[in-house]
Amino acid sequence: MRDAAPSRAPKVSLRGGTPPARSPWRGGGWLAAGIGLLLLFPLSSPDAFFLDVFTTGFLLAAFAASWDVVGGVSGQITLGHALPFGAAAYSCALLTSFAGWPLPLAVAAAVLLAAVVGAGIGALSAPLAGPFVALLTLALGEIAHEVAVGHTFFSGPGGYAWGGEGGIPVALPWRDASPFSSYYAALVFLCLATFGMLLFARSNSGLILRAVAGSPITAQASGVPIARFKRLAFTVGSAFAGAAGAGFVLHVGRATATDLSLELSFQAATFAAVGGRGTIVGPAVAAIVLHVLFQGLSLPPSARVLLYALTLLVTLRFFPRGVAT
Amino acid sequence: MNTLMSAEGITKSFGATKVLSGIALSVAPGEPVGLFGPNGSGKTTLVNILSGLLLPDAGTVRFDGKEITRLPLDARYRLGIARTFQIPHPYPALSVREAVRVALVPRLTTLAVNAWKRKDGGGTREDEEGPTEDLLARTGLFDQRFVPCAQLSQGCLRRLEFARALACRPKLLILDEVLSALSAADEGDLMELLRAANRDEGTAFLLVSHNPPLLKSLCRRILVLEEGRIVRERTV
Repeated sequence: MRDAAPSRAPKVSLRGGTPPARSPWRGGGWLAAGIGLLLLFPLSSPDAFFLDVFTTGFLLAAFAASWDVVGGVSGQITLGHALPFGAAAYSCALLTSFAGWPLPLAVAAAVLLAAVVGAGIGALSAPLAGPFVALLTLALGEIAHEVAVGHTFFSGPGGYAWGGEGGIPVALPWRDASPFSSYYAALVFLCLATFGMLLFARSNSGLILRAVAGSPITAQASGVPIARFKRLAFTVGSAFAGAAGAGFVLHVGRATATDLSLELSFQAATFAAVGGRGTIVGPAVAAIVLHVLFQGLSLPPSARVLLYALTLLVTLRFFPRGVAT
Repeated sequence: MNTLMSAEGITKSFGATKVLSGIALSVAPGEPVGLFGPNGSGKTTLVNILSGLLLPDAGTVRFDGKEITRLPLDARYRLGIARTFQIPHPYPALSVREAVRVALVPRLTTLAVNAWKRKDGGGTREDEEGPTEDLLARTGLFDQRFVPCAQLSQGCLRRLEFARALACRPKLLILDEVLSALSAADEGDLMELLRAANRDEGTAFLLVSHNPPLLKSLCRRILVLEEGRIVRERTV
């Protein structure tokens, strides 16, 4: 029997290389310290505005990490990642407000829908490579955004701003959640989601996705059905983006067209570029730092977009592998 | 004679240029076959069609009695047809060990699923480590196992190509100029590796080369390709 052949005992030596540096616990000390500081932050009685900025930052961080599953680990640069995020946000709002579904069921359905949307995007983009994936996802995201913007049912007057009037409200079973509970719920969600994505990235599937990103032809010659794995990356990344979208709509109270915007996808790509593509944790940390910094300065939205663009330019020029790496 | 792989009437054109014209060949189980021909004779195109990277305009390819003409590269690998590339395309971000593991995942997954069905505790981490380290040791890459693929020399890249190809325990290896432009030591090691796979595991191979002495030393039969046709066949 072919597989029953005895293995030769290799002579163990570390000459010519170093042990693998891809332990999921690498940099765990810094991460634990950061989480500890974030856990203690509300005890310093901060302004409710800052708690809200951090809460949004945690949800954006999970979204940025989910972009990294697709764009970093598997190398499929997507500019339409807001599509599963917004689809989950809208479905959560619609299912609770219009269909009267219980919130947990609506959230589960929203995440499932986001995964299905991701599988669809993955199926469409699987035969493509490089910039064509970015163009296709950009087009799909913009179609969804324009439909939401142009249709009064999806986006009422003023539905262009984060948490502004318009859009579709979500029916919450609680009234006026305290900023502290929102803050801690978002932080716990971020930790769990990031851990889940790290596990996926370090699994055999994650290894194969990194191979597909590095050399699709060698991966295929190694028996990897690359189209199936590209679909898997989009499905998993979109499911986590959907979870972040559902969390976001619960936090702000309504789904608006902004949840599907190119700006949101662009932000996620920027966070990944700054934090280090393929690291999962790096984009999440970059998202928290940049969001809190830019949002905390209370700049107008156009100025923030400009700052994100400048950050991306500087990073790509001076830190092409990300600031942290 | 038993036939492992056979091709009939393989024809391929790129635009107005006809590269292959009605190629017919067969490889028996465990048979070492050489493919010789000048530049531009269509060797790489033929290899690409046999390995599933290209579709022929006409003709059929059969393997183990099944028609596989339209089967893609990855599916052929899982069937037991592995190929190497003339110019290796390494994974820049993976270590040598990780690159070998990628090629092992399909076989190990099948083994783990079978073991799980038998409920004999298979599919553990030890089951995964053994074949990886065995391949690294056989190909002389064990000491470089943590080195990123992007930092490997040409000789080590060719060894990695061998490790990747041998990971599926292939019934047929298709080797495109795998022994060219190597140091004498690397060439000798890889030739011995090829002989061992053929002798110990019964792996047939189709070796493409410009080097007649090398083909004569490794192959039992040599096919000569000229202008897209097999013009001669020699038994060594």
